[in-house]
Formats: sequence, structure tokens, C-alpha cells
Amino acid sequence: MTDHTGNNGWSRRRLLKASAAGTAGLGALALNGKAPFHFVRNAWAEEAIGNFPVKGKSVVFGFNVPQTGAYADEGADELRAYKLAVKHLNEGGGMLETLKPSSLSGQGVLGKKVDYVEGDTQTDPDAARTSARRMVERDGVIMYGGGSSSAVAIAQQYLAQEMGIVFMCGLTHSNDTTGKDKRRYGFRHFFNAYMSGKALGPILANEYGKDRRAFHLTADYTWGHTQYQSIKDFTEQQGWSTVDNIMTPLGTTDYSQFLTAVLNSDADVLVLNHYGKDMNNSLTQAVQFGMRDMQKNGKDMQVVVPLYSRLMAQGAGASNIDGVYGTTNWNWVLQDAGSQAFVKSFEAEYGFPPSQAAQTCYAQTLLYANACEVAGTFYPPEVIKALEGFEFEGMGPGKALYRAEDHQCFKDILVVQGKGPDKKSGEYDLLDIVSHVKRDDIIYPVDTFAGELGPYKPA
Amino acid sequence: MSARSKAPASARNGLTIAVFAAVVLSMPFWLPLIGGYEALATKIVIWAIFAVGFDILLGFTGYLSFGHAAFFGTSAYTTGLMLKHVSADVLPAMGASILVTVFLAFLLGVITLRRAGIYFAILTLAFAQMFHVAALSIFQGWTGGDNGLTMSTRPELLGIPMTGLNVFYFAAAIAIVGFYIALRIRNSPFGLMLRSIKSNAMRLEYTGVYVRAYKQIGFMISAVYAGVAGSLMVIYEPYVATKFLHWSTSGEIVIMSVIGGVGTLIGPMLGATFMLYFQNVVQAFIGEQWKLVLGIIFMLVVIFMPGGFMEGLRRLRGAVTPGGASGAGADSTASARQPAE
Amino acid sequence: MTINSVFLQLLTGLQLGAIYALIALGLTLIFGTLGVVNFAHGALYMLAAYCAVIIAGKMGFLAAIVLVPIMLFVVGIALERGLIRYFYNRPHVDQILVTFGLAIVVEEVVKWIFGANNIPFKLPAWGNGVAFLHEYIPFLEGFVVFPKWRLILVAVSLLTVFALFALLQFTRFGLIVRAGMREPEMLRFLGVDITKRFAIVFGLGALIAGIAGVFGGPITQVSPGVGMNLLVPSFLVVVIGGMGSLAGALIAALMLGMALAFTAEIASLQQIIIYLIAVVVLLGRPRGLLGKKGVME
Repeated sequence: MTDHTGNNGWSRRRLLKASAAGTAGLGALALNGKAPFHFVRNAWAEEAIGNFPVKGKSVVFGFNVPQTGAYADEGADELRAYKLAVKHLNEGGGMLETLKPSSLSGQGVLGKKVDYVEGDTQTDPDAARTSARRMVERDGVIMYGGGSSSAVAIAQQYLAQEMGIVFMCGLTHSNDTTGKDKRRYGFRHFFNAYMSGKALGPILANEYGKDRRAFHLTADYTWGHTQYQSIKDFTEQQGWSTVDNIMTPLGTTDYSQFLTAVLNSDADVLVLNHYGKDMNNSLTQAVQFGMRDMQKNGKDMQVVVPLYSRLMAQGAGASNIDGVYGTTNWNWVLQDAGSQAFVKSFEAEYGFPPSQAAQTCYAQTLLYANACEVAGTFYPPEVIKALEGFEFEGMGPGKALYRAEDHQCFKDILVVQGKGPDKKSGEYDLLDIVSHVKRDDIIYPVDTFAGELGPYKPA
Repeated sequence: MSARSKAPASARNGLTIAVFAAVVLSMPFWLPLIGGYEALATKIVIWAIFAVGFDILLGFTGYLSFGHAAFFGTSAYTTGLMLKHVSADVLPAMGASILVTVFLAFLLGVITLRRAGIYFAILTLAFAQMFHVAALSIFQGWTGGDNGLTMSTRPELLGIPMTGLNVFYFAAAIAIVGFYIALRIRNSPFGLMLRSIKSNAMRLEYTGVYVRAYKQIGFMISAVYAGVAGSLMVIYEPYVATKFLHWSTSGEIVIMSVIGGVGTLIGPMLGATFMLYFQNVVQAFIGEQWKLVLGIIFMLVVIFMPGGFMEGLRRLRGAVTPGGASGAGADSTASARQPAE
Repeated sequence: MTINSVFLQLLTGLQLGAIYALIALGLTLIFGTLGVVNFAHGALYMLAAYCAVIIAGKMGFLAAIVLVPIMLFVVGIALERGLIRYFYNRPHVDQILVTFGLAIVVEEVVKWIFGANNIPFKLPAWGNGVAFLHEYIPFLEGFVVFPKWRLILVAVSLLTVFALFALLQFTRFGLIVRAGMREPEMLRFLGVDITKRFAIVFGLGALIAGIAGVFGGPITQVSPGVGMNLLVPSFLVVVIGGMGSLAGALIAALMLGMALAFTAEIASLQQIIIYLIAVVVLLGRPRGLLGKKGVME
């Protein structure tokens, strides 16, 4: 917890800034990060945005993760990763050694020690906003990150834009996050449903044939909708047809009425656009309904879970996920230097390997810090510009690019298959990497999704 | 209650209002001293408005509504949509929200007030849940579904931007007026009627009073408070979550009322303050197990202080000056102890 | 709609109703006898599911079937003696709130110990797989399957109902409990020691939640929030059936189950259907389907 008392002036600052922003426009932005450091600081001293300028000897990051509610375990893992990231930023180690190009020193950021505060999103957009706002207003954070649900991420992203605080998304997989709801102050390192579809489509067609009939069950919210759309589009491109889709309420415990509908149809593939507990329930019950040992249209019926996470796989149980296809952003068994550096330091610290949620949160924190170093300032518009179009490697397999136009990070992703009880070698070894899909195969034109990033200075 | 004469009551009211106004208006100064922050003060004041209104229904008439989220949320969505599509000024938005709330409360009141007790609670719950589900699915295009409704415009009041302390004082002014009205209602013949409904609706009916009309009006007044609070919530933070319509929001206001002290008007506001302070300040010190601690505190209060914080305060006062506060205490305790029957 | 799909949907409705019925039975039994609204009933179910998954993992599923209901019975009695009995004379709102608080505490403690993630609950071999219904039922065309476990759940649910009715109908204990449900004051005047029986009734309600947890756990899965998810629907069942009416709860559970099953493909209706039914029933019948006058009004 840090002691920050400069809050009473906050609203006044905002007022000044709000009135000035309209006229000053982009003029001030003509100054760029290449100016001498001290000069830059002075020039921006009056241009307060969010919690810039940073006072004192330390800079505060806010980590807003689900500590209660359905995704609390994921949140706990994210928080572990954040703490590790802060440790590495202050003391060196981890991916600091592998990130290229890197301006990180391992002695804080821009000469300031990194401090952090944590908050609880409760996996609820409203609670997440409240918590984020508290970090901004009370704790004076310069950036915040986290989240384990797209609705939560999107809600926080809008807040970030309003407040002028950079938001580094945690686990969020909806196309909307960097699509129709993209914001200038929000950045996503995690992949999205579109990439899942693009990576998964050909592999499914190759494995199960091109004349499959799919039935979707979809969680009724932003992420579910976009994933349904993406998987449908990409499987249909491969020649599949879509029999039907049922929107299921978030948090359904018994899916039997929907599974009965699947049984009654002539579909021979079941696609579960569910995440977390919803997926645990729907997959387990689909297996109980015999959907993995059944024949339809003369073919073996198949179940697909497009978005996988190790924690989810653990919750569903090894026998249920055995052989089920899906995609994932990252897995701890990857052998590239960046992943290994992270896994080793994480295991040394906590005694078990990190989840993909942890990896994305860790990477995001380092990327933000690095952008500050590159920009030479915490001034948000400059940090944003440093992140936009940033190409790097050493945070996972292959080269990664933060696309400037939509703040989506493009990098290699994984198509995986669940490992059955007899194939897995340990408690955490649940996913088998089927294919390593290259960045160039899943990239898409920026105009695929509508939406505007908005201004560099919050309105 | 009846023993009190009118003049001292209104003098007491004046004093109560003055103290209340002083405490509320100075909140941005004292709240940070105990770990709070400015925006939390605004949120507390908004929930206090909600809580006072809820007490007019639960505390006075004894009707336990588990569906006040319907008013809070519908009004919030109305405000949000008005701010987004019509005008950034808060007055038309609040006006429209109140109109919508009144209309909705009229309809729901006519339907649900035909039942009492737990059946009334479940009916209101069912309606509110239908609204919640509809906002999530059928009206997704309007409400933004689970993403919530986000506006990029900053609300303003006659040209004054509604940010920071401006929102606080706006909400605080409404809270003070709202509290004053509630006090007036309590001491009015109408308030007496409402409280008679609680003690014995049947007998009242036999004396020729058209009880339904009183209940209906009480219900609607209470709903308007909830609507105003919902509307202010969006002005304070330009975002509407579907959770505003969820039964847990109704549950929260019930919890606040009970731990504060049902039927005391001040109590529910205290309860709201405590809950928000705990969820936003104390929570950070406890960390992951904050909900557990809150659950335990909550149980302890219900078990050992049936009249909520207000009873605790009275006992405290009783201990300091024996006999001094017993008269008022007994009266309020009695009213607090039998809600929703 | 074909005969097959109608049949499958009926079956689905039946088994959805079965699990609601198991939870609602305990709720309404406790309410009808003791006048206590127990919002912690969902937490008891959750507790049972955790006990079941642990015992089943260590000692086998049969051990869980025997032990878990007994454990829950003990938990129920402890709960009644330790907390609930002090609330018999308190308003229902206080009962709701204290049990709701208890539910939060239990949920958070379980989350603390076991984590928020799901614990996979494997079905025993004898209950795994699907039943080929077309082999037994002549009017079905072609190929119709249903998970065996869900058929077992329906059977267990029916057995529990019969056992409970038999207990209440044919034993002296049942006679007193039924009398207590009707005229608790009178019973006290007659000098019957109902305190001890109160505890047993509460334990019985918890025991039924235990049965529900063992057999429902593999379906609803085992995570801290599972009880809270079931709370609102099972409470609706109790109210629609009429507070304190066992038969009413059964009918209501079946109604909701069927409604959910038959609206599965109409998303907008499916999500509001249970609330819609609650509204329609309560407006048509002031005290629910089989509720008694003067209860909870």
C-alpha cells in the first residue's frame, strides 16, 4: 500500500485539462520522446493526464484481478504473476533477460521503484470499475491491468479512456475488446476469438472431415457471441454447416435441456462456446450424455472447446477433456527462451507452473514498463505511442507485434488437445500442443472489426 | 410515537436535518481521514438515498421488496440512454428516469401489492429478475448486455460539468432533501397510515380506509428514491451494469437496511455507509478473505443486534445515561423487530 | 416435433425437476415445521457435494452415498442447536439474513480451503454412460439415449420423496411433525417435547440436501458457488408450491423442470420462464399452488 494524498486536486486538474483539451488538440503532441529528458518533463508538467506527473520516488501500478467469484483461482494466478513482474522490474530477472528490444534496467522504471496495489474485480464489470476507479483516485496508479472476463475488461477499458490511465488487459478473448470496443488507453496481449477460429478451422476440418454439421452452445455475452461468430465463419469456410446455436445464460449449472436439443438434431459436432465453470459443466454433462462415444450421420460425434485454459481443463477433469480440441494463448511447456525464463522464475517463487492468464499479465506489465522507458516519460500519450506498433520477441514463441491501429497484439498461438488421465505426466500437464500457429496465419486486416480508438488525451 | 407532541417533533426534525446536512456535506473532508476517498463519498450518498427510500417501504409499511433493483436499474438505463442519445444535461435525463420509474412502480405496485409477506417478496424478485434477464438478452442492443452501457459523453448540469465534487454536492443536496421529505412523511398522517398498515392492515381495512391506495403510494415513493439513486449512479459514473437490475442489488439494500436498523431512516443510511466503506476501504486491508469477514460481521450483527447499528447505538447511549434513551429506544426497537410480517 | 424429441424433453424436464425437488423438499420441510426460512440450504448442498467428491475419491462412491447424508444430518442438528433455534421467534427477514450470512461464510471458507476452481466429480462406473432407451420403450423410433446417471437421479429423488412421505405418514414421529406443521402452539400446550424433534427435522432437511449433493454433485459440479446458484430456483419452487407444502413443492419442481426443458430452444423465453411461472401462479393463487392460509403473509 502506498501513501498517496494528492487526490483533492484531482478534479480540478481534470477540469482544467478538459477545457484545454478541445483547443490544444494535437499541437502539444508534436513534442516527442526524443527531446532531452529534463526538458520533456518540464514541458509536460502542466499537461496533467490521469495520475501523471508521477510524484515521489516510486510509481504505482494497479492490479485488478478477480479475488472472489467464479474466476478467483485465475485471479490468484494473475496476481502471482504481477507480483513477480514487479519484482523483476525492480530487481531484474525473468523475461527482462529475454525481451528484445528492451530498455528495461531491472532497477525500477525511469528511475522510480515500482510499487503496486491490488483490487478485486469479483468477475463483475461494475465491481471492477469501482475497484479500478479506487486505485486511480485513491492510490494514484499510473496504469492498471487485470481481469478475467471480456465484459470486465471492456468496462475497465472505457474507464481507462475516461480517466487517462493506461489499461493493460489481462485475460480477455472477445473480439470486441480490440474490435468495436477498442480504446486508445487499452492494450491487449491475449489473443481473441477470431484468431482461435482462424487457427482451429483448418485443423478441425483436417481431423474431422469437411462435411461436418455443428451445433453450438454459446454463453450469452460479448465473448460468447464473438466466439460463436468466429468459429462459425471459419468452420463454414472449411465446408462445415452450422445446424443451430443456443444462447445459454451465464452461470447455468444444468445444461441437459440444451444437450437434449443437440441430441434431437442431426448435428455431429458440438461446439461449446463456454468458459470457466460454464465450460466445466457443459463439457462434463455433454460427456455424460454420451456425446463423445456416439455416432451421428455415420461419423463419430465430436466435442470442441475453442478456448482452453489449463485451470479450466483441471476443473473439467482429465477424462472429460481427453482429445478435445481447442486453442490457447500460451502454455508452460513451451521451450522458447522467454517462456522458459518466466516458467523457471515463477516455479522458483511459487512451486508450480504458471497459467496462460499469468503469462499474459506478466508480459503486459513488462511491456508497459518498457514503453515508459522507451518514451522516457510516464506521460500517457507518449507511452501509448511507444506501445503502438512495438515489435518484440522473447516473451513467448516467435515475434510479436502490438498493432497500432487496434492495440491488438499479434503473435503465435497454440492449438491444443486435452490430455487423458493415462497420457498426462503430472497435475499440471493437461494440454497437448497439436499445432503451433504462426502469427502470419492468424493476422487479419484492421478493418475486420469496426470501432474507434479515440483520442490520445481523454475527453 | 403517539405520545410525542407535534412542536418538539418538528424542532427535533430541524436539528436532525441540520446535523445530517453537516455530516453529509463535510464527508469529502472527513472520509479521506479514515482511509476513504472522494468518489466513495459520492457513492455512499447515492446509496443512502436508495436506503432511505427503501425504509419508507420496509420500515414503515413492513413490505419487504426483493425487487427494488428493478427501479434502480431501469432508471439507470434510462439516464444512460438519455445522456447518450438525447442530451448530456442531467436534468432531462433525471426527469425522464423519474417518469419511467413512477410509471413502472405504478404498474408493479398494482400487481405485486395484492400479495403480502414472502409472496410479495418473491413477486417483486421475479419481476426484477425478468428485467435483468431481458436487459441481458432481449434488449442487448440497447443495454449493451453483459458489457454494460457505456457513454463517452460527460454529463453536465446546465453547463457545469458533473465531475468530481460537483457530482458529490449535487447528490448530497438531493440526499438532504430526500431525508427531509422522509422525515416529514414519517410525522405526517400519511406516514401514520403506512405504519398502521404494518401493525394491522386488516383492522385498518375494517375502519373504512382504502389500504391499497396508501400502500400503492408508499411503494411508489420508495421506488422514486430508488430511481433517483439509480439515475445519480450513472451521473456519478457514466456506466450502467446489468447487475443494477440483479437480485443481489435488491439484496444489498435489504442487508444495508437490516444491519443499520429498519424503520429508523438513519439506520439504513448508516448501513449503506458501513457496507460501502467495508467493500471499498477495509476490503483492501483484509485481501482475499474480505467477503468471509463481511459475512461473519453480518451474522454477528443480525444475531446480537436485531435492531441493527441503531440499536447498538441506543444500547451504548443507554449504558452511558441509564433510562435516558429508553423511551425512544423501545419504540424504534419494536418497529424494527417485526418487518415484513 | 417427433415422438422421440417430446419423450426426451419430458425426461429432461423430469430430471431437472428432480434435483430442484430434492433441494426444495428440505427447504419446505424445515419451513413448514419450524417456520424458518433457510437461505443456507444451498450451502448445505454445496457442502454435501464437497464431502461427496472427497469421500468418493478416497473410499469409493458407495461410501459417499452412505456417509454424506449422515454427515449432513449431524451438521444440520448442530446448526439447529447452535444457531437456528435462537431465530424461531425472530422475524422471517432476520432468519433470511442470518442464514444468508451463514451461506456466504460457508462458501468463502470452502473457497479458502479448496480454491474457487471446479473439482471434477467422476461418476462411478455403474452410473456412467448412457441408457439405450429405444431398446426398452417400443414407441421410440430409432436411436434414443439418455445418461444413466440422470435416470438414477430421478429414481433417487422419487425414493426420497416416498421415504419422506412414509416417515411422516406412518410413524409417531411423523404424526407429531405433521401436527407441528399444523398447530405448533397446540402441540406445545399438550406438553410434547418438540424441541428435540425440531432439531431432528432440521437434520432431516439437511440430510435430504446431503442426498441431493451426492447425486447432484456429478451433474452440477463441485465449486463454492454451486449452492448459491441453486438457491433462487429452489426457493421459487418452494414458494410456487406454497410455503410448507411438500406436495406443492413437488408439483412446482416438476413444472419448472418441464418449462425449462420445453423452452430450451427459445432463448429469450427460456431465461425468464421460471420467473414468469412464479408471477402467474402467485397472481392466480395467492399462497402458491398448495399453500395454507396465514403462512408467511
